[in-house]
Amino acid sequence: MMTNFENLNAGDSITGPTFDVSRESIRLFCDASLDYNPLHLDDEYMKGNFGKTHFGGIIMHGMNNFGLISRMITDWAYPAGAIHRRLETRWVKPVKPGDTIQPTGIIKSKQTTQNSRWVLIDVMVKNQAGEKVATGEAMVEFPN
Amino acid sequence: MAKVSSEGPEAFETDFWKDANLRKVWDDIVPGEPRQTIPYTLTREAIELYCKSVGEDHPIYFDEAYAKTTRYGGLIAPPSIHILLMFSCTPADDWMRSPGTVNAGQSWSYNIPARPNDVITLQARALDKFIKRERLFVVHDNVFFNQRGEVICSGRGWTIRPA
Repeated sequence: MMTNFENLNAGDSITGPTFDVSRESIRLFCDASLDYNPLHLDDEYMKGNFGKTHFGGIIMHGMNNFGLISRMITDWAYPAGAIHRRLETRWVKPVKPGDTIQPTGIIKSKQTTQNSRWVLIDVMVKNQAGEKVATGEAMVEFPN
Repeated sequence: MAKVSSEGPEAFETDFWKDANLRKVWDDIVPGEPRQTIPYTLTREAIELYCKSVGEDHPIYFDEAYAKTTRYGGLIAPPSIHILLMFSCTPADDWMRSPGTVNAGQSWSYNIPARPNDVITLQARALDKFIKRERLFVVHDNVFFNQRGEVICSGRGWTIRPA
């Protein structure tokens, strides 16, 4: 059934494609985002401690999670004539080369305002062990 | 490691250590003080490279004939292109490049899409800084505009600064 504002219900789910994380995918994200922070590049540097945090090796950009969630939302919204309006995320756990991650979303609520209609979506990214690596909330507009 | 981007006349310094001593540390960051920014022309190639890095394959980013049939009337960039814009619109001594900066979370609101050949500007500042569980946090806000002064998107981020 075609997604539209009327037939969406709280609890409905959205799933994005899986994403295989590798040293190459992290390097590509460096080149695409221009974020060359050594957290994502330098194994020697990552052997150290960061305040109270120890990563033990390079980690994926947190914003790579953000990009995967955003992709899931737009790929879901475009066919419905809807518009991705907001995304808030927090990083819960580092993602490392060899991990496979996947974004999902669950419709939380719908709301009608004076001029438009909105859907709130709880989003998360999980790794291959089912652990949450990122959580957040998205807002999609379904224009009248 | 110090390779440079082939895009544009201003080579992008990929060695984030190089200007590390020029960047403000947590103590120096003044909430409310604007960050220096630079205009950036968003190319189709840069959009396509970003799309590749996160697996974006929707034709609205690649297929001009298709894009013309949509509500956008032409090619657009994915909303999350601000991930690239944050670094392309800031100079090498910007504190967001400090090695060891850890992104703790972000929220972004989207108004209109960025498009190929847009000349994009950024207004950005720290809004707040605080210490929590011995970690040094900065809250920063960022607004991207196109060449017509229209807001593309606005965002707030939380980063943990190198100690």
